[in-house]
Amino acid sequence: MAKVLEGPGMGLMKKWGITVPNYVVVTSVDELTKLGQVNEWLKKSKLVVKAHEALGSRFKLGLVKVDLDFKGAEAAAKEMLGRQVGSITVVQVIVSEMIPHKEEYYCAVKSTREGTDILVANCGGIEVESNWERVKCLALEVGQQPSADALEKVAKEAGFTGPLVKKMADFAGKMFTCFDSEDAQYLEVNPVVLRELDGALIALDAVTLLDGDAKFRHLDWNFAFAAEFGRAYSKHEMEVMAVDSKIKGSVKFIEIPGGDTAMLPAGGGASVYYSDAVVARGGKLANYAEYSGDPPDWAVEVLTDKVCSLPGIKNIIVGGAIANFTDVKKTFGGIINGFRKAKSEGKLKGVKIWVRRGGPREKEGLDAMRALKDEGFDINVFDRHTPLTDIVDKALQKQ
Amino acid sequence: MSILANKDTYVVIQGGVAGVNAARRMAEFCYLIKRSLNVLAFVYPPDAGKSHEIPYGSGLVAVPIYKTVAEATTHHPQINTSLVYIGADRAMKGGMEALDDAHIKVVSMITEGVPEKDAKILGRHATKLGKVFNGPSSIGIVSAGSCRLGVIGGAFDNLVLSKLYREGSFGVITKSGGLSNEIIWICSQFADGITTAIGIGGDAYPGTDYVSYLEMFENDPQTKAVVIVGEMGGDLEERAAEWYGAKKRRVKLMAVVSGFCQESLPKGMKFGHAGAKEGLKGEGSARAKSDAFKNAGAIVPATFGALGPAIKEAYQEMLKSGLVKEPVEPASLPKLPKTVEEAMKADEVMVAPLIRTTISDDRGDEPCYDGYPASELINKGYQIPHVVGLLWDKRLISNQEAEIIKRIMMLSADHGPCVSGALGTIIAACAGIGMSQSVAAGLIMIGPRFGGAVTDAGRYFKYAVDNKMTVDEFLVYMKKNHGPVPGIGHRVKSLRNPDKRVKELVGYVKSLNTKTPCLDFALEVEKITSVKKDNLILNVDGTMAAVLVDIGFPVDSLNGFFILSRTIGLIGHWVDQKRQDSRLIRLFDYLVNYAAPKRREVPPLKQ
Repeated sequence: MAKVLEGPGMGLMKKWGITVPNYVVVTSVDELTKLGQVNEWLKKSKLVVKAHEALGSRFKLGLVKVDLDFKGAEAAAKEMLGRQVGSITVVQVIVSEMIPHKEEYYCAVKSTREGTDILVANCGGIEVESNWERVKCLALEVGQQPSADALEKVAKEAGFTGPLVKKMADFAGKMFTCFDSEDAQYLEVNPVVLRELDGALIALDAVTLLDGDAKFRHLDWNFAFAAEFGRAYSKHEMEVMAVDSKIKGSVKFIEIPGGDTAMLPAGGGASVYYSDAVVARGGKLANYAEYSGDPPDWAVEVLTDKVCSLPGIKNIIVGGAIANFTDVKKTFGGIINGFRKAKSEGKLKGVKIWVRRGGPREKEGLDAMRALKDEGFDINVFDRHTPLTDIVDKALQKQ
Repeated sequence: MSILANKDTYVVIQGGVAGVNAARRMAEFCYLIKRSLNVLAFVYPPDAGKSHEIPYGSGLVAVPIYKTVAEATTHHPQINTSLVYIGADRAMKGGMEALDDAHIKVVSMITEGVPEKDAKILGRHATKLGKVFNGPSSIGIVSAGSCRLGVIGGAFDNLVLSKLYREGSFGVITKSGGLSNEIIWICSQFADGITTAIGIGGDAYPGTDYVSYLEMFENDPQTKAVVIVGEMGGDLEERAAEWYGAKKRRVKLMAVVSGFCQESLPKGMKFGHAGAKEGLKGEGSARAKSDAFKNAGAIVPATFGALGPAIKEAYQEMLKSGLVKEPVEPASLPKLPKTVEEAMKADEVMVAPLIRTTISDDRGDEPCYDGYPASELINKGYQIPHVVGLLWDKRLISNQEAEIIKRIMMLSADHGPCVSGALGTIIAACAGIGMSQSVAAGLIMIGPRFGGAVTDAGRYFKYAVDNKMTVDEFLVYMKKNHGPVPGIGHRVKSLRNPDKRVKELVGYVKSLNTKTPCLDFALEVEKITSVKKDNLILNVDGTMAAVLVDIGFPVDSLNGFFILSRTIGLIGHWVDQKRQDSRLIRLFDYLVNYAAPKRREVPPLKQ
């Protein structure tokens, strides 16, 4: 799943006919000032200014300012731009018009195994969370389009009455079209508001999750995907992602600050079992990592370099199941190069390395790892006869 | 017995290189269990009409490539299964094509990164047709002793170690490819092995879920227990648990679920397979899934490591109750023939080499010339003439000798466009011919009359010096046995109009004060011949030859110095013509003496 920030998310909704407030995304106050000269609404309306970054709890951090005039918006933008929050620098702010309204509603579309669920509620904002039973669902099968009747029916079930039934059905229908056409996995508008001025339904805030795998058929997705876990990707994470996007097979890397057990396992499935084993043993993960699909040795070397660069690590778990087609000797060659480089840079002091693996050319690969002992590495190597996660037990027992 | 894949399974593989690799692995399995190759066809439009040669035992099986699935199944009506290895952007089209073919009952998609929407449409389409769509992102399906679909099971040694050559009693369903292999191995070590193992893929919405396969296993009397390796995210594990708990099942269910680490990670941090995502409301956690399995009565070991012992316990119970019998291992198994390289490494064969070399070797990380690594030669200041010395005469020549060779090369690199070699290259270049052929056209000219006299000149001067001949004896010997002396005589240069290149080279070599018996002899010869005729001087070929023989180069290598040097010029002429975009040239009529018979009538053809 790929998260999309508010700006491009609202752009996609607008594309499919959903009314969104006027907004601009800017990277400097100058830009905002210039936009103010050509966009009348910026001068006329009350404005909201938000940091346009993948940050959680923006309200608490003072990165959302409401009810501003244009001067106030410029001041807020100036204050926010360049602010450092953890590893993230605020480089963009989104300035949007405030929509005076009384009523708030909810609408979402999500992917299910059977097809697609369209969710509507006649309450919105935080009220939805505490009144989940008021959310009504129209379940569609794979390939099925919602009929106007079905949409109106679910709107009625959700408690909409009078002209609002048709308005809400229409809004939900457009949400579905956007979802279906843009390969979305989750679309949520909370709140949907009734604009006092003309009685139109407006999408005030959007959560947009797209299917990153479908990017090849959406040439207009010219925006970057945001990190999904409430912080920006680190430099090392982005470097590994850049390698991942270039190669056959995959390499993955996520840093977890404060941990002391570094992970360098093979396989999307086994890597999580290794992480589970560390946690079950009371260890603290310093990262998540994974390589699979017989990646080139240089890509595994880059990954190894990042793992060895994690601060304060005591153990590195080079685990893996019995590979089907990943060449153990070749991928271990990349890891060994990475280890040697790290050692020559003064890293890996006092770090214990634990290896367990099987698969094509396992003997050669494991022998090469064992030979690192002679170069002064503190390394323990096990083959397929040692159960998968036993190296984690051994590593964490000895501490 | 087994499910999904068996002795009657015949396969078409849709896709290119990855599919061919899978076919090789499948052929290894077929060889192990002594059945013929079950891959009957490939579908890959760019190569349609050709075939892939798949190694089987010590031979090769040609598997034809077709443009469409329909063509493949028309030619091979036994095909009932398709493996899809097509790129993510075209995978859906390929999957649909296979599903819509009446012959095909099972489609397994190996492609990773298929859009979720496409996977759902494929799954739905298969259900409607009553077919099985497995994957995407599936590692494959393997039924012990009968059929392998894809690379699942790994290398040949692993197939044997995991006892995949005969049936066991355990069914396996996993999302992860690597772990499928691990579980197959565990089942073979802690119990009697597997019946069928299926990789359903780690995507959020696999085409076929655990429940469908559990139903199949339930109906397969050979399968006594099923092991599920699950992951957090989605609700497939919960559905499997629900199925198991719904009524008394014949098969025993064992399950582990990964993703417990999420509980102690920073909120929102997620990783693993595409489908391994906790729901927005916290549903689909590893704990919820584990609990669901436990509540349904499945055996749920606390960790992945505890799975082996749990399988062992279950197996021992089955043995005790007589549900299963100890398997009988076959007396012998086919061994995968070794490649020549592997057999040589193991000292099992001796091969008579086809060729022998004594000058160079590039099997290491860089080429070695006569044993010296090229980079070391560079870094220690050696030059191209030293490399010539190593490759032509297998010795490290002195710097002084290298300097002479360098000067010889510089003097002979080119001699204008009119000489045979350059003209040949230029004509070829003007005819639009490529560099290597055009340069070769020029090189072909080198022979007894143009540039190719060096070797012979060296040979005879050396003969004279070795046999201590006087100049007169030599000239008599040459006249009697060989004719004109190679290296003596020039078309335009003469005593009065000396060849500056010769003067230059002789002057330099003489200035070194080394012994130059051949050169001295050649100069003596010139003294006599040039008296006889003004242009019978020592030419550049003869000078080079004498000097190089004095340095010690073998006679047979001598023409090489001219060929090597002149190649520089010929390449220059080709590039020059190319850069000018020269047009095709032909000889003007007035440059030809037409001495052929005048035009005349052709007589009638005699019967």
